[in-house]
Amino acid sequence: MTGVGLYAVLVAFGVVTGAAAGLLGVGGGTLMVPFLTLAVGLSQHAAEATSLLVVLPTAIVASIVLHRRGVGNLPVALRFGAVGAAGGVLGALAALALPGPTLRLIFAAFLLLVSARMVRDALVSR
Amino acid sequence: MIGVGGGLLSGLLGVGGGIVMVPLLVLWAGYAQRDAHAASLGAIIPISLASVATYGVAGRVHPWEAIALAAGSIGGARIGAGALARLDDRRLKLVFGLFLGAVAVLMLVRR
Repeated sequence: MTGVGLYAVLVAFGVVTGAAAGLLGVGGGTLMVPFLTLAVGLSQHAAEATSLLVVLPTAIVASIVLHRRGVGNLPVALRFGAVGAAGGVLGALAALALPGPTLRLIFAAFLLLVSARMVRDALVSR
Repeated sequence: MIGVGGGLLSGLLGVGGGIVMVPLLVLWAGYAQRDAHAASLGAIIPISLASVATYGVAGRVHPWEAIALAAGSIGGARIGAGALARLDDRRLKLVFGLFLGAVAVLMLVRR
């Protein structure tokens, strides 16, 4: 894909990602990185760096909308994230020292467990 | 703790912090689903700022692709955040749970 077509697809994919991110409380990198590597053909590093730049304005806009509607507590969340940023640097350093496939397997198992629990809670509390 | 844990795992695994922070906030910290999503979005702002700074984003970013995606995602974020403000916690839990399950399967499939 090149030219105008590519950019139209990117904008459309951005709308979907932004909506999912705003609803789910995530940045959207989980959706964008696979899309940028598989569909657009960027390298893994380029996709991650590009996706990070998109996550930032997405989270800012979503947070402003929620703040205006009185959902959540933005100052607390920002402080919370400032602490998390320190953890992120440590995590990135640790990632270089640990075996990737094992980590991914453990993490996927964690996500599956949480997923099952949330779906169950949602259905039980009907 | 959850902030550090979320940041740590996201740096470690290359996933956004939200996918880790929302479950921790709900299951450990006892947040309501909607508040957890809002807290996670707010926390992502400083976390992604720091990541952008540490990544040395310069040579690696594809600026036009980023601009096109961001142009769409800014509009999408309004739609999504508006829906988050409206939906009840049970529906949010279901949607988030299904999303996590899908991500987990994707992680297992494409290594």
